[in-house]
Amino acid sequence: MSAIELVSVLTELIFVLVFLLVAWSAVRRRTRTSVDIALFFGAIAAFIVESRVVTTLGLEQVELVNDVVTILVIAMPYLLLRLVDDFSTVPFIANRLAEAGLLFSAIAFLATVGQPPTSIVLVIVVYFAALATYCAVKFIRAARRSSGVTRRRLEAVAAATLLLGLTILVAGLSPVVPAAAGALDGLVQILALGSAIAYFVGFAPPPILRRAWQEPELRAFLRRAASLPRLPDTPSIVGALQDGAGSTLGARATIGLYDRETNKLRFQDPHGVLPNEIGPSEYLVWRAFETQGAAYYADAARANPGLAPAYRAHGVRSLLIAPISAATERLGALEAYTDHQPVFSEDDLDLVRLLADQAAVILESRSLIDEAARVRAHEQAARLKEDFISAAAHDLKTPLTTLVAQAQFLERRAVTEPSAPPDIAGIRRIVLEARRLSALVVELLDSARLEQGKLVGEREPVDLVELARDITGRETYQGRRITLSADAPVVGSYDPRRIEQALENLVENAVKYSPEASEVRIAIMKRDGLARIDVTDEGIGIPSADLAQIFERFHRGTNVDDRRFAGMGLGLFICKGIVEQHGGRISVDSRVGTGSTFHVVLPLGDTA
Amino acid sequence: MVDDDPSIVAVISDILAAEGHEVVAAENGQEALAKANGEALVLLDMRMPVLDGWGFARRFRASGKRSPIVVMTAAENASRWAAEIGADGYLAKPFEIDALIAAVERHATKPH
Repeated sequence: MSAIELVSVLTELIFVLVFLLVAWSAVRRRTRTSVDIALFFGAIAAFIVESRVVTTLGLEQVELVNDVVTILVIAMPYLLLRLVDDFSTVPFIANRLAEAGLLFSAIAFLATVGQPPTSIVLVIVVYFAALATYCAVKFIRAARRSSGVTRRRLEAVAAATLLLGLTILVAGLSPVVPAAAGALDGLVQILALGSAIAYFVGFAPPPILRRAWQEPELRAFLRRAASLPRLPDTPSIVGALQDGAGSTLGARATIGLYDRETNKLRFQDPHGVLPNEIGPSEYLVWRAFETQGAAYYADAARANPGLAPAYRAHGVRSLLIAPISAATERLGALEAYTDHQPVFSEDDLDLVRLLADQAAVILESRSLIDEAARVRAHEQAARLKEDFISAAAHDLKTPLTTLVAQAQFLERRAVTEPSAPPDIAGIRRIVLEARRLSALVVELLDSARLEQGKLVGEREPVDLVELARDITGRETYQGRRITLSADAPVVGSYDPRRIEQALENLVENAVKYSPEASEVRIAIMKRDGLARIDVTDEGIGIPSADLAQIFERFHRGTNVDDRRFAGMGLGLFICKGIVEQHGGRISVDSRVGTGSTFHVVLPLGDTA
Repeated sequence: MVDDDPSIVAVISDILAAEGHEVVAAENGQEALAKANGEALVLLDMRMPVLDGWGFARRFRASGKRSPIVVMTAAENASRWAAEIGADGYLAKPFEIDALIAAVERHATKPH
């Protein structure tokens, strides 16, 4: 047996094998596509077997068998076009041209009793080759649109189709150029072998190849999956899972999360074609969710005729569904669909199950993270409340200690030494500590009101510039250099008492935490329809570690000497509350040792 | 007497002076360690900047000083804090001046 013969036998064996495989799968699952594939390879196999049998046994050609096989061979390009139509859409005109070609070749063959003149043969060959090339291009386009295993398979089919076209073209040309017949015959055998192998890979890929194709996609998915639970919220995780599953399966993927309260699957379909929620219904996804079984439907509309219009309208043709569940809890379902069949196959069920399980792990760890965060937040809130109470108690008891002791001491002296001169220092101490206590009580009440959102009352037009001028002119700040820069009145609608309190707090802080000789600058301006207030000091500054919490209740800068700077750490908390309840924002820029600038932005409100 | 609140220091100094005691005041643990010189009693606030009551007590005892310590604190858990540092007694702020005087009489070491 020569090398050429060997190649030829091998090619034939592969084509027959492919036929057997696709025929078996068409028998197992009869869909238009599987039947089309089986017909196409059936035509090839019939031709091969017939010619093999005839040549090996040296039989006389049986007329009828010969004719049938010939028709089948002639029908091959047309069958190929039908196949393309299953994957993507073939224009009407192309279909009609192919049918015309089919008719023409059939008539030509039958009319000339299988011996058409060379010119006719040439026309038929060109028709074959052109159609094969057209189909190859269509397959390549379909491959471009998909990904993963599907893409590889469609690419293989495209290559095989192109090679088949070339095979036919070269085989058809060889009788025309008898001189090169030997070489061309060899070329035909090699092209045919290539085509056979590529079809085998495309239509009946062995599991090992399928797994090898899936692996990179799966690996990429798993790599991404590891970081998914850290995404900010569940919708973004679901989005990422959908993208990942979609590109792994080469389809559109969507995840429905089960909502126990409404007993519905909630979808967040990025393609916007599926219903947002699906409750107990005939939808295949609900069926899969309820039975907790993965399912594959080559044609969703046929599997569920009741909802066929819905599936057609949504562009759902082939469908893969796997339930997402963790241990005993049903979390939802993963659905992958395409508008053409048969992008998926039974074998993709394993993959979609794997993806669904992975999604379950991710969603489950996400909910654990959420749960842990909730518990932590709850604990922290409780701790803060406790801290607040004990800090408030401590701060209230300190002036009370002086008040009680001093008052008792004065009383005792008044009794034991009635003629002694009044203890002026002691009396002043009582006045001072009583004021301090009163200020603390007011602060505490403010912070309690703030929590209830009731800090800001009636609003009226307030000129912030005039207010600032009024504050800086007070006796307390005599001897301090406070400059106010403002070019025009800035009038907004505010609670006058509260806005004054906030501004005063900022000025007070600026003065309190900066050297006596340094300057405090206040700038007030109107910009972009907002009032902006900047209060800048050249004081001790705020350590960057404290910046994030400086507006929190009871937080005081770690560089603040409690003894020198009395306060409960409520001032900025209340200040922020006042600004925010006016619809504004407060922020701070600061450098230790250089100073701080507090920025307040307030809406002007309706001052009419 | 170690306390970071100047008003409390002033009033307690006045009260104890009227009782015939001499008072050395310090506004934190560090200053108190520097000033300590065999006093008959230490009145110790717990929450103070620079060096707090716990730090003061540890170093004070470590340096071999034996003066009794009475904790004065505005915190809820005055008795626990006193136990933590092995103090001889405690006064929960605000306290009656009789309680202050009694605590001093009871715990201060008597001159030999």
